[in-house]
Amino acid sequence: MPEVLLQRAFEVRGGDFDKAGETSSEIKALLKEVGIDPTLIRRAGVVTFEAEMNVVMYAESATVVFTLSDEDISIEVFDRGPGIADVDLAMQEGYSTATDEMRQMGFGFGMGLPNIKKNSDIFKLESEVGKGTRLYSAIRLDGAS
Amino acid sequence: MMTHGFRIDQDKCRGCLSCMRACPTHAIRVRDGKARYIPEKCIDCGSCLKSCPYGAITATTWSFQDMDKFKFKVAVPSPVLFGQFPAGVTPAHIVQGLLSVGFDAVWDYGVELFLASRAVLHYVENWKGPFPLISVSCPVVVRLVQVSYPRMIDQLIRLQIPREIAGREIKRRYAKELGLRPDEIAAVYITPCQAKTISILHPAEGVESHLNGALGISEVYNPILASANQQRNGLPPPAEIPNIVRNSTFLGWSVREGLGRSLARHNSLHVTGLANIIQVFDDIEKGKLQNVEFLEAHSCWSGCTGGNLTVANVYVTLSKLRSLVGDLPEMDAETLAEVNSRYPLEDFSLEAPVLPRPIKGQSGDLREKVRLLQEAEAVLKTLPGYNCGLCGAPTCKEMAKDISAGEASKADCVFFSKDRLSELYKRFLLNDR
Ligand SMILES: Nc1ncnc2c1ncn2[C@@H]1O[C@H](COP(=O)(O)OP(=O)(O)O)[C@@H](O)[C@H]1O
Ligand SMILES: [Mg+2]
Repeated sequence: MPEVLLQRAFEVRGGDFDKAGETSSEIKALLKEVGIDPTLIRRAGVVTFEAEMNVVMYAESATVVFTLSDEDISIEVFDRGPGIADVDLAMQEGYSTATDEMRQMGFGFGMGLPNIKKNSDIFKLESEVGKGTRLYSAIRLDGAS
Repeated sequence: MMTHGFRIDQDKCRGCLSCMRACPTHAIRVRDGKARYIPEKCIDCGSCLKSCPYGAITATTWSFQDMDKFKFKVAVPSPVLFGQFPAGVTPAHIVQGLLSVGFDAVWDYGVELFLASRAVLHYVENWKGPFPLISVSCPVVVRLVQVSYPRMIDQLIRLQIPREIAGREIKRRYAKELGLRPDEIAAVYITPCQAKTISILHPAEGVESHLNGALGISEVYNPILASANQQRNGLPPPAEIPNIVRNSTFLGWSVREGLGRSLARHNSLHVTGLANIIQVFDDIEKGKLQNVEFLEAHSCWSGCTGGNLTVANVYVTLSKLRSLVGDLPEMDAETLAEVNSRYPLEDFSLEAPVLPRPIKGQSGDLREKVRLLQEAEAVLKTLPGYNCGLCGAPTCKEMAKDISAGEASKADCVFFSKDRLSELYKRFLLNDR
């Protein structure tokens, strides 16, 4: 069993574009503080940022749980929101239901979920329409991907 | 080898906290009444040097004497030099002036600017990684990334900068022409700032410099001016018009936001001033600058024209450069021919990528580091949070880290120890005499 070394929970609010990105910044800062390899920090940063943005864009609110164990970095996002009806479709590169407004802000090109998956060693996405979505991503510390 | 370039004279330092407060990377602590560096956190920006009221801080320098061991000495002046002198002093006078102070040749890196621009354009267009790409022309920016934003290190453009390409070409060309060994030839940058000197003498981790040293503009200014005045009083004007004025690109470089211009088709950003750069880097980390492809950043708020080794007023310099550029064409046939012939033959990539700087306490056992982090967080909760700095650390947060690492104690905080307060007061009385 991996031993949990550090765990933190963050709240993210839907629609809050102003604060978007703060959770991933904080997680990156924690990882830097404990000397995690910059490449792994960057991967964890992409995962958290994209997941956080999806909450901001599509959900009502979410809890992000960051866990550092002696084996991996894991990020788990539980959101309360509309959920995703077709997860396989949402995972496709370029698929997006973002509004024009969001696109003007530079988001919503349909690469978020695929990039999360690409940067994860373990990736899970489960959703219940009308209730919410749970995303799990783990990045191994030994760098094997 | 530690690569930072400043020293604090312990006799002159009065422990006044000015430098500690000015340091953007929290690289200074004042312990036992004296300031000292945490070398691996220093990014060579020179904020401390400027802030010290007692002149206790000095920087790594290089001097005319260091040049003597070379057989053939080539000056590589920054374009900023040409904007420093009063009206009537022409680029030709300045080139002549450099020769009169002991250089055997003067190299303007106009061609190298074009070569580098082309290489960067190609690099940006073929880049598959994350944006924005960051220019490596300002050494302070490179070190800031190494020290504070190591996960952006791959975004530093892995290409030689113009002055370095020039250094390499100087060695190659003169070695061939004069039958000398490359190590008998000195390529000496005439620099507007300290940070570039340091980047030549102690390049960023992983990188080497093709230049041998640097002299500050302030060091060569007076001799050049004297020579220019002699030239103007009767001596025949220099026969040759220097290449520098063949086109407007070299002299106009600092006026026109450098590389950004040749990347006009790409979304590029030019940021100046360290505080602004830090803000932009934080925004990049927060994902707020997704569409920017190229970032040119200069630590000095006015770009290199305002470097700490310049002499003239920034605005006067810019205006002078603008008038020198006048209506010169951006490119001329001769330069173009040279660029076209060299571009395919030379490799502009950095020999090795810039590496993140190893920070003390960030290697070793993960469990132990997590423990330190948690302890620092616990200590921070007990500190007053005023960030007064009297403990000798710039913020309570930094102090908490120092305490958890065993480098300071809670008794250094005036809110915990009255002795600390009276000790500081005694020191004040002593210093005041
Ligand atoms: N947390 C979520 N809640 C509801 N829908 C989501 C969520 N995350 C993603 N989606 C849906 O999946 C689509 C694809 O997501 P993503 O790959 O991140 O691209 P983008 O965010 O650019 O649209 C989104 O457009 C949206 O319809
Ligand atoms: Mg998305």
